[in-house]
Amino acid sequence: MPIDLDAFKPAYKKWVEESLPDYQAGNMKEIVKKYPFIAPDDIPWTAYNGQPSSQTFALVTSGGLYLKDSQPPFDTESIHGDTSFREIPKTVHPQDIGIAHAHYDHSLAEQDINIVFPIERLVELENEGIIGKLADTHYSFSYVNDAVSLVTETVPKFIARIKAAGVDVLFLVPV
Amino acid sequence: MPTISTGNSAERMANIKPPRAVLVKFARGSMFGEPGNVKRQRRIILDALAALQTMTEPGTIQELPYRWKQPDPE
Repeated sequence: MPIDLDAFKPAYKKWVEESLPDYQAGNMKEIVKKYPFIAPDDIPWTAYNGQPSSQTFALVTSGGLYLKDSQPPFDTESIHGDTSFREIPKTVHPQDIGIAHAHYDHSLAEQDINIVFPIERLVELENEGIIGKLADTHYSFSYVNDAVSLVTETVPKFIARIKAAGVDVLFLVPV
Repeated sequence: MPTISTGNSAERMANIKPPRAVLVKFARGSMFGEPGNVKRQRRIILDALAALQTMTEPGTIQELPYRWKQPDPE
């Protein structure tokens, strides 16, 4: 069943109004309890009949990663979160990656980005032929509460990008 | 497009219902284990690739056996 955004919109508006004081005070447990999560009725499913050694993989994280020298960090202030995404090249040097996400402890990831975004491991697996091709571009999202903007504006752009890049499989790694 | 997910909370994953996923028992922010543990990072990815090829039931979640700062099981 498709996501019912018409039902979500007023519930989200109410949640923002009621949760803003708790959000600003950092009472995250309280605001999570009240968030109008969209629970899918069914499980989206595309069968997999391929061989990884002959296909193109792209990595998607929600860890708030961005390129420090060329991209703006994600907005970490707004209760709505930040619905944009960043493109991370597979050739990235770990030291060039910043993390802009206020809602998980990323101190260990800053020591080794591969624990949330295992790009170096995937490059190695491509070189060994275990993965056919690692896409040139990978993707980071961050903290999002505004599911309407995410679904109606961001996701179509993201899907267009991965289709144009010939991605066969997405490796989804939330934080 | 087929996807393979990782997760670290069985409760969250039960609500989100990813098509197919592997579950690790690590804290948020450490999905692939300890910093510098290259073998474990690689192993988790290989487990995810195996899950991609073998899972046929939508919503299957496989718990992986790795534990924080403990050796990988043989």
